[in-house]
Amino acid sequence: MNQKPGVCTFCGTGCGHFIGVENNRIARVYPSQNHPVSKGRLCVRGWNIHELLDTPDRIKKPLIRSDGPFVEASCDEAVGRLIDSLKKYPPESIGFLASPRSSNEEQYLLMKLARSVFGTNNICLDSESGHRASLNVLHAGTGMAGMLGSIEEICGAEFILVAGIDITRQNPIIGSEIHMAARAGAMVVTMDSRRTQIARLSKKFLQVRPGANKLAVLALAKTIYEENLHDPSFLEAHTEGFEGFRRAFGKLSENELYEKTGLKADEIKTVARHLARAKSAMVFFSSGISGLDEDTIGYIYNLFLLAGKIGKEGCGVNPIAGLNNLQGGYDMGLAPDLLTGFQPLADAATAKKFEKEWGTALPSSPGKPIYRSLADQASELKALVVVDHDEGIVRYADAIKKLDFVAYIGAFKNPFAEYAHVVLPIATYVQEDATFTNAERRIQLSTKKIEPEDGLLPGWKLYSMIAAKAGRAWKYAKVSEVMDEIARLTPAYAGVTHAKLAGGFGLQWPVDDKNPGGTRRFDLAKAGRKLAFYGVSDVFEAPSADDRFPFLLMVGKAQHFWHQNNLMKKTHIPMREYNATLMDYPEGYVEICPQSAKEIGVRDRWPVRVVSPHGEMRVSARVSDDVSPNTAYAPYFVQEMISRFLLGHTEVLRQGEDATIPVRIEKV
Amino acid sequence: MTMFLIKKSDVGKIAEELARDHQVYGPMIEKGSGQTFFDRADDVSEISLSAPIPSNPPKSVVFPQMERVLAYEYDRPKNSVKIEPDYKVEPKALVGLRPCDLAGMLCLDRFFMGQEFVDEVYLAHRKKMFIVTNTCVAPFKQCFCVCTDSGPAASEGYDLNLTDLGDEFLVETGSEKGAVFAAGLGLAAADDSHLARKKKIVDKSISLFEDIAVDSKAWISRVMNRVTTGFVKEEVWEYIGDQCFECGACSFVCPSCSCFNIADVTNPECEGCADRLRSWDSCSYEGYSRMAGGHNPRKPVEDRRNKRFFCKLSYSQMKKYLRPGCVGCGRCAWVCPGDIGLPNVVTYVRREITR
Ligand code: SF4
Ligand code: SF4
Ligand code: SF4
Repeated sequence: MNQKPGVCTFCGTGCGHFIGVENNRIARVYPSQNHPVSKGRLCVRGWNIHELLDTPDRIKKPLIRSDGPFVEASCDEAVGRLIDSLKKYPPESIGFLASPRSSNEEQYLLMKLARSVFGTNNICLDSESGHRASLNVLHAGTGMAGMLGSIEEICGAEFILVAGIDITRQNPIIGSEIHMAARAGAMVVTMDSRRTQIARLSKKFLQVRPGANKLAVLALAKTIYEENLHDPSFLEAHTEGFEGFRRAFGKLSENELYEKTGLKADEIKTVARHLARAKSAMVFFSSGISGLDEDTIGYIYNLFLLAGKIGKEGCGVNPIAGLNNLQGGYDMGLAPDLLTGFQPLADAATAKKFEKEWGTALPSSPGKPIYRSLADQASELKALVVVDHDEGIVRYADAIKKLDFVAYIGAFKNPFAEYAHVVLPIATYVQEDATFTNAERRIQLSTKKIEPEDGLLPGWKLYSMIAAKAGRAWKYAKVSEVMDEIARLTPAYAGVTHAKLAGGFGLQWPVDDKNPGGTRRFDLAKAGRKLAFYGVSDVFEAPSADDRFPFLLMVGKAQHFWHQNNLMKKTHIPMREYNATLMDYPEGYVEICPQSAKEIGVRDRWPVRVVSPHGEMRVSARVSDDVSPNTAYAPYFVQEMISRFLLGHTEVLRQGEDATIPVRIEKV
Repeated sequence: MTMFLIKKSDVGKIAEELARDHQVYGPMIEKGSGQTFFDRADDVSEISLSAPIPSNPPKSVVFPQMERVLAYEYDRPKNSVKIEPDYKVEPKALVGLRPCDLAGMLCLDRFFMGQEFVDEVYLAHRKKMFIVTNTCVAPFKQCFCVCTDSGPAASEGYDLNLTDLGDEFLVETGSEKGAVFAAGLGLAAADDSHLARKKKIVDKSISLFEDIAVDSKAWISRVMNRVTTGFVKEEVWEYIGDQCFECGACSFVCPSCSCFNIADVTNPECEGCADRLRSWDSCSYEGYSRMAGGHNPRKPVEDRRNKRFFCKLSYSQMKKYLRPGCVGCGRCAWVCPGDIGLPNVVTYVRREITR
């Protein structure tokens, strides 16, 4: 039999699959029936992953260039060039942009390389701050920097809130679990500005005005509190800091709330009562590029804490990672201020533990997030190492061009490589054992399926080689020893070994002496602490449209258009689906409702100009019932939007989906 | 046709014997996960006749998920092309095929070989094939072949058919090739009493189907009538279409779905060289039905969905396949993230009829 178990590495759901191999090439994929997360399902991306894994569009040879075009080089030469170039600069001037797609082992070693070999804390993930915002809230509130619930428990939840995430597109198999729960009787409520598929499949749809999610959540919390639907003894015994949250309730009158959110009193009240009365309740929201801002996430967490829906079976505040190892990336300390497992770099005892294990002092100067440096004209950043990059390039192309030195490390061809001076290939994830941590903290081992092409090193070997050449010999005989080291340094991973993960469906962290089989969800009974309400602001600046800019534009994801599609473009079927929409809307589209289209005087596929206070772009109109009058939606793949239009909107990039842009839409 | 008996302990010999001059495929259980796959056996002892219905459709043997069908090299200056077809001609034996899956393959035969043009690639896989089916002595949870006239025992299209009689297997031959092969095994002959025992076992098996499957028996034909005559209301298709995640799984896992995509993949290391790949495709994808020029006859997802159910449940398809397009394997219900596998769709249409 020729079926090798593994994990889909597109999104953070972490579905299980089997890969078939022929002549050392990936020939097919099939879903894993007994996998606890995916239970025999895959989405369009997962069903076609073999097309990506078999693509000839790979980086296979190290490349270097001085002034002219690239020339092929030996791995030795290219690594030598990388080290010399980085060592020219003080640590503050070099940076590492890590990938939320790399395995835990690769991410950990890149982090170790940056800190222990090149002495810099300038390291971060190539993804927007959305997931970090979620982790900040959950960590501060409960001590767990990850999804509090579990995908396996979705089917047991009585109430499910889907807040501002197009989940059947972004993480379809999680969307499927929610749909199944709704069919089995759960009260599923979607809160969004756009009528997404999950909105249609929900029992209630709260169509909030763009940018007003936080207010809608506030309205729910206020109702629960004012109708006395919460349990004061739970608040007393298990929580702290409620007063701070309660202060926000008085800021706006009920009527103001309804007006600003566009929701009706009875809609809010019914949903609030359902939430409060359900035995178990979960909420899902997006982390990543189109995720909510930290304050809104704080409100969501506080709402569920007030309703007493945290730490029990079928409950969970669940940020959804769009990329396969985004959660793992934070677990592996890919942030200027973090070490592994969300341990703060500033904590002296933690730093000491790492210094002892690594046999070197940690850099003391604080690091800066790479994107902030790129956006800052006065930044000291001069040299940048980028791994398996999808996104930021189109936005920061100019800043990246200005750097003295850029290195690109990756398995697949990528437009980013054009900006690099050194390109180093690595093996794909099916060419080595690797672990990935999905959105629900499940650490899964994906075993090696095929041999890497001649001369290609898996990431962990390449990083070890760079370290050795730079004068620090790491002694890993096999990749599992990297995980052993992670386990020694990271309490949440303390009990994880490759041997323990082999042949199973993974373990959810924390995995330690107390929880040798992992931890399905955050458990109130075992918390050993009070749960803190998150310190949220009581300032509400919902963007509003006016006569000059009468539309509120939202930015989001679409199923086949995903993170610049560098990987999707290497498939055939998902790529065709991508082209089908592109052919209809060659310049991308902005979605408006039929009534708005009529007012502007355009029809489906007619060109329009979208003008904001900070910029403009030309796209086609897509006429659809999914948006309300005077709102508009543009999927994130619209190139011109990301490269030009959004550049003036730094706030949007930082805040994600909740920061909507007032625009005017004109016929051209 | 002739009939024989083979001892349970000897039944493995059939695969062993076939392995002499065939690539042998059969149901096998993946150890780590317990999942059954119909796959090529590196070692024929891996094949398990008692394994549950395979999770993947055996159609992957004759119609693989992704297959290189030819390679070509275009020499621009000389304006010449070198084409190398890549047909997999090795003889193959399928051992332990379930009746529904055989029925599915017969549909594929009619699609790929029974029309005006014969598909050479498919033909190459199928040509020297030896098929051993295995009667289902008990249905699996999701099965409803009793409603689609494709089980639990195979009636045509096999070379050998095995039925577990308890202590031994009844071996029925279904073709000349099968008769010759079976005669060469030196088995004891079976008689009508064994056939009567088989009938009892099949009847028992039929009685064990979930009520809903047995219940649906009449319903499937009534639903087919409705679907064919276009009497299913828009709203029902919309209700179904809203739940489709457009993943393609239902087509991929279906033993009778035949749609494919062709892609030419250029080789970056060899100018003018390309591989032609054929792979599974699905009517649920928007790009699948889009025509050049932008017209898409099936743009809304509910239109694409009802296309599938037309394909599985209408008389026009019966003309093509000489049987319903659905063979009752239940796999689409397993894999559908929208929970609109064929049995549920039948239920929704049926609900409308009874209203
Ligand atoms: S939901 Fe995510 S992990 Fe699952 S198959 Fe789709 S892309 Fe892969
Ligand atoms: S339609 Fe579904 S149940 Fe019918 S044969 Fe295809 S996969 Fe099996
Ligand atoms: S399996 Fe279900 S969700 Fe997927 S395409 Fe088929 S009907 Fe749609």
